Amino acid sequence: MNLKQLRSQLNSPWPVLDMHVHPLDCFGLHGVSSVKEDVRLLTESAHRAGVTKMCLFSLYRTCPREPSVAECRMANDYALAMQDMTADIFLPFCYVNPMYPQEAVTEIDRCVGKKRMYGIKLWVARRATDPGLSPILEKSVELDVPVLQHAWIKTTGNLPGESFPSDVADLANRHPQARIIMAHLNGIGLRGLEDIADSPNISVDTSGGDAESGMVETAVKTLGAKRVVFGSDAPIRHFSGQLAKVLATDLPETVKQDILWNNAAQLLPKWSR
Amino acid sequence: MIIDFCAFIGNWPTYPVSGDPEVVQDTLSNYGVSQILVSSLESAWCRNPHRCNDLVYRAAETLADIWPVPILDPTIATWKSALHQARTFVPELHPQKRVHLVRLLPTYSPYDLCQADELLKSLVEAKLGVIIQTRLEDPRRQHPLAQVPDLPAGEVAAVAEQYPALKVIIGGTRTGEIRNLQRQLMDQPNLYADISQVDGLDVIKVLVNDGLVDKLLFGSHIPIFTPHAAIARVVCDLDDGTPNAAAAISKIFSGNAGRILD
Repeated sequence: MNLKQLRSQLNSPWPVLDMHVHPLDCFGLHGVSSVKEDVRLLTESAHRAGVTKMCLFSLYRTCPREPSVAECRMANDYALAMQDMTADIFLPFCYVNPMYPQEAVTEIDRCVGKKRMYGIKLWVARRATDPGLSPILEKSVELDVPVLQHAWIKTTGNLPGESFPSDVADLANRHPQARIIMAHLNGIGLRGLEDIADSPNISVDTSGGDAESGMVETAVKTLGAKRVVFGSDAPIRHFSGQLAKVLATDLPETVKQDILWNNAAQLLPKWSR
Repeated sequence: MIIDFCAFIGNWPTYPVSGDPEVVQDTLSNYGVSQILVSSLESAWCRNPHRCNDLVYRAAETLADIWPVPILDPTIATWKSALHQARTFVPELHPQKRVHLVRLLPTYSPYDLCQADELLKSLVEAKLGVIIQTRLEDPRRQHPLAQVPDLPAGEVAAVAEQYPALKVIIGGTRTGEIRNLQRQLMDQPNLYADISQVDGLDVIKVLVNDGLVDKLLFGSHIPIFTPHAAIARVVCDLDDGTPNAAAAISKIFSGNAGRILD
């Protein structure tokens, strides 16, 4: 097998919508000095891997676990600036902190209502059971955008505000109209999938952790093929290495296409489809 | 041609994997991997890891692409006979597939590497190399009653410094650890690292730009990981169609291995 043959076997034959990407300004092996450099490095790498579009969340440069309102605003401005530099590649999400529910709603109005960001990102400031999330979820329903909620089950111990999958299930059950994407399939593992199995308004993204064999097949079996979306968590992870989780499965091609594009597209706001 | 320095067969207790030797060989063959250096996954949790080497020897006897990498444990009283078995193993159908390397799992036994001194000296005498595994599973994903911390890669580099005649491979270490050991990897001709657990945007490109192209060995970590991931990281990062890129890929996939398996 020569390199050309190998390369053709590794690439996705279909377009790829990556549900989980951060700027290099937040994470990764590259230091960047400008938005322009961030855009260039991220898009070049995505292009080599065959990633077509990326849902983008900035967590602010220093990634504070409990960001201030101003830090969230600056993070969102950074993501918007990246979007402005490229045509139709980055789909920015609005990052907010549920410690400040009303300010979060104001920021969502600014970023989603006015600037047409594609969704809302929640990280580790508060667990998904926290009441501070309620106005945020209600706003997501009003504006017809998905909420991407980080989750993990860490043997070494979750952070104080870090959600478990069961917390996300609780959130989904309290807000049945909301479209929730729970991040990190390989972080929640075999137990976490069961936690969200009975919550039909939760999808899971395939990001987080290593390219363990069999996890995506298990997710499809447990949740159904329509509730799994591709996410890389680049630049923490490698686009191609994460795509392997889907491409190397023995799932039908139609299911792979759903995971790599169609399912995510259905979760984004109607105006974007 | 691709040579895999980080492959296993057998079962893993906390997560279902397809570790049947034929499945492992067939899966890797689909990606052009034709020399698979295999250890037993079950050795990690067996109180006498040597007992699981038989599965590896049997696979090497019957499957053309499987090359045995027995696991040795210096805290088992019979390690010398396990080493003797490794030195004298000659598969009937594939006599060229003798043992070139053994693998140590210090954090699983567990033992400190200083307890392996006599074993390491014996490996030098036997002209065998060693893969010292720093990680099999992300500690965040382990079973709560079976937590195994990573072995610091610096301890493996120290072994290479102490035994300059011993070929030493850092098995399963992460990107940051490799980058932190850049100077040692460049300075110590007997020290290498496999890329089975490295990750991050453009990670292989970054490591090559760090000057480490001659020190990286391909590893898939099959069957816990899908091998597609490790192969894709190399090809997607480096393959820009130029002869230099092809040469770099060739070094990582098989060229550097020549200095170890000669």
